[in-house]
Amino acid sequence: MVDRITVEVARYRPEKEAEPSFQAYEVPCRKDWVILDGLNHIKDHLDGTLSYRWSCRMGVCGSCGMTVNGEPKLTCATFLADYAPGPLRVEPLRNFPIIRDVIVDIDDFMQKLSAVKPWLIRDAEKPLAEGEYRQTPAQLDEYKQFSMCINCMLCYSACPVYGLDPEFIGPAAIALAQRYNLDSRDQGARQRDEVLSKHEGIWSCTFVGECTKVCPKHVDPAGAIQRYKLSSAMGSVKDFLMPWRGK
Amino acid sequence: MAEYETHEHDVLVIGAGGAGLRAAIESSAHGADTALICKSLLGKAHTVMAEGGIAAALGNVWPDDNWKVHFRDTMRGGKLLNNWRMAQIHAQEAPDRVLELEEWGALFDRTKDGLILQRDFGGHRYARLAHVGDRTGLEMIRTLQQHAVHKGITVYMECTLVSLLKDGDRVCGAFGYWRESGKFVVFKAKAVVLATGGIGKAWEFTSNSWEYTGDGVAMALEAGADLIDMECYQFHPTGMVWPHSVRGILVTESVRGDGGVLRNSSGRRFMFDYIPEFFKKETADSEAEADRWYTEKKNNRRPPELLPRDEVARAINSEVKAGRGSPHGGVFLDIATRRDPETIKRRLPSMYHQFKELADVDITTTPMEIGPTAHYMNGGVRVDGEGSATAVPGLFAAGEVAGGLHGANRLGGNSLSDLLVFGRRAGAYAADYAKSVKGPLPVAAGRLEALAREALAPFDPGGTENPYLLHQELQRTMQSDVGIIRTEHELRRAVEKIGELRARLKRVRVEGHRQFNPGWHLALDLRSLLVCAEAVARAAIERKESRGGHARDDHPKPDPAFAKVNMVVRKDGEALRVSAEPIGEMPAELKALLEG
Repeated sequence: MVDRITVEVARYRPEKEAEPSFQAYEVPCRKDWVILDGLNHIKDHLDGTLSYRWSCRMGVCGSCGMTVNGEPKLTCATFLADYAPGPLRVEPLRNFPIIRDVIVDIDDFMQKLSAVKPWLIRDAEKPLAEGEYRQTPAQLDEYKQFSMCINCMLCYSACPVYGLDPEFIGPAAIALAQRYNLDSRDQGARQRDEVLSKHEGIWSCTFVGECTKVCPKHVDPAGAIQRYKLSSAMGSVKDFLMPWRGK
Repeated sequence: MAEYETHEHDVLVIGAGGAGLRAAIESSAHGADTALICKSLLGKAHTVMAEGGIAAALGNVWPDDNWKVHFRDTMRGGKLLNNWRMAQIHAQEAPDRVLELEEWGALFDRTKDGLILQRDFGGHRYARLAHVGDRTGLEMIRTLQQHAVHKGITVYMECTLVSLLKDGDRVCGAFGYWRESGKFVVFKAKAVVLATGGIGKAWEFTSNSWEYTGDGVAMALEAGADLIDMECYQFHPTGMVWPHSVRGILVTESVRGDGGVLRNSSGRRFMFDYIPEFFKKETADSEAEADRWYTEKKNNRRPPELLPRDEVARAINSEVKAGRGSPHGGVFLDIATRRDPETIKRRLPSMYHQFKELADVDITTTPMEIGPTAHYMNGGVRVDGEGSATAVPGLFAAGEVAGGLHGANRLGGNSLSDLLVFGRRAGAYAADYAKSVKGPLPVAAGRLEALAREALAPFDPGGTENPYLLHQELQRTMQSDVGIIRTEHELRRAVEKIGELRARLKRVRVEGHRQFNPGWHLALDLRSLLVCAEAVARAAIERKESRGGHARDDHPKPDPAFAKVNMVVRKDGEALRVSAEPIGEMPAELKALLEG
């Protein structure tokens, strides 16, 4: 006999409800089941109308982020049994508008990512015939960690600054900007600077580090933010002392 | 006539994995107003899950490598069923596509000198796969996605298309629905590129996610395109077999490329017992030679663990059937005794975490349990080798949905390169074709209303069938009767069962609202998936031999009579018809490359 666990899932059906509510389902609590297996069990056997996003089941697509007992988690990488005997609560990621059940609106997040110009910026393009840009393994290690982001949005859900001020460009976008700023092939740090420093948000980040704690890929957005602040402050000092720099 | 939300573009690209993104980028660069449709969210398509790397004869690690060797490896891996022109173009253009990706910002692991590093993979003579750790697909899709956004391409997310629209013979758009609202939407376009990926959700144990239900294959077939080589479906040799809930999830071939070996329950490296005649000359016959090959390729032959995937998958299947499998019904993949923990973690970080987190196995100390998993559609929609055009004017196809390049079996690493090479070509040719189309894009009266009515049928009261249960029955049938080893009797049983499921699907019933309704989405996806499953089973009946991904217990050997024909599937009313059609003769200069 397999143990069972009660999962309370946030339901929101805007065509008939003004507010989200919880619906409880009892699912098998198998040792090897992640929370996503529990949700799929509900969808396939108990209630075919439950809406949520998921895809790869292996922690790389970043679709299945939800709030589990108050914490943002990838549900494909979080075991049901860790919440035994239950009940456990599954809610949408926080800080985003809810569309239906546990599905949230991601438009703002997508716009923030592209706002930091996440592509190689070069003064002049190089013809393909010249081969690749040379980059040593050591130069690669400078920014590799910031490239591991799977856009799962857990860091935005955990970020107290973004929660209060949706204008804040946010942890993943700053880490993404740093992924390019620190890339030895890139020459676009100044252009990204204009985006990052446009808003006060980055200075209101108090380095609570919630973003880094919840990141399933160890991208360390908090580290990226600190590093950016430092280099940006240094840049301002240099601009003051050497106004001809970068002209 | 009901009014549907309508968008009009020059070129519509359906599918936003590597092929779709690359096609959209190229189409837009050719001056066409281009739109890209994602079934899920941008950046989440299956390409994101690709691990090993992009095959391209850059020659960065082994200067002797060149397109001719890559061409030869690809053709031999495909047991010569490949569209040789595609294999040639692919081998010639892959290096530039990798360099282009690098120029757009993709990061790659590097050699000491700062060149793009390349790794060994099955069936490739030289270390050829450009990669970053074991998450190459993630880096590739991010780079393409950001480049596409940078170039201002219109992206429509969470939109499923259910049918192409035609004006006479030519394609003029597509019809579908927004997953979010459930409302219908019409896209009018002068040209359409299909980049919808594969059909892996037809099987029970699969590396594919929910999206891979063959929508593009079914839409193309319905519109009048041909399918080829559907019987040669690829089972990847190494999927997780345990825990059960993650069964089928991919374990990258890089594990073997980086030195991992396969062992049975008695610890024997059994692949030495399964070297086929076709690959004897290029495969090591002793452990000592196999182990030397990783560092000295000139005088040593490739380890049998790096035979093409079809050979390895069948060997694993035989070991398990002979009672020499692992406790959970697979075999052992051992890298722990072969490489030191630091190397393993550096080269295979995702695998290390995947096994640690999902199976509580430390792969630096313990062998993995693995077994074959449904992975990739080697065949697909038949296209012209140059420009990826299908038989339907205005309809192009690239990536997994298109057939030809891989013949009877795809080599690992040739998929990501395929996406780039033929994604780009499909985008360019589609944009050029679109320029030749003038005037309005009319849709026949009543056509949209009929499509809408069909799509809403699952909400009609009176239906009794549950879409999840129908899907489960299909997956069980395909797993048991259209799996790695087939017989005519089982294949016919599968065709019959699929027919029964198609009839029952007409009585499917879903509950709830149209907004984000997973039951309804599955009911619509199943229409495509059942057609694809039937195409595989019917083509498999007709190929009465064993070749590449298609293995028959009742015809266990390759038969010269089938060596130079493709099985072609077409739609004839509601029925699918299969015919054997000859492959064009290969030019002498390409034939010469196959020797040696």
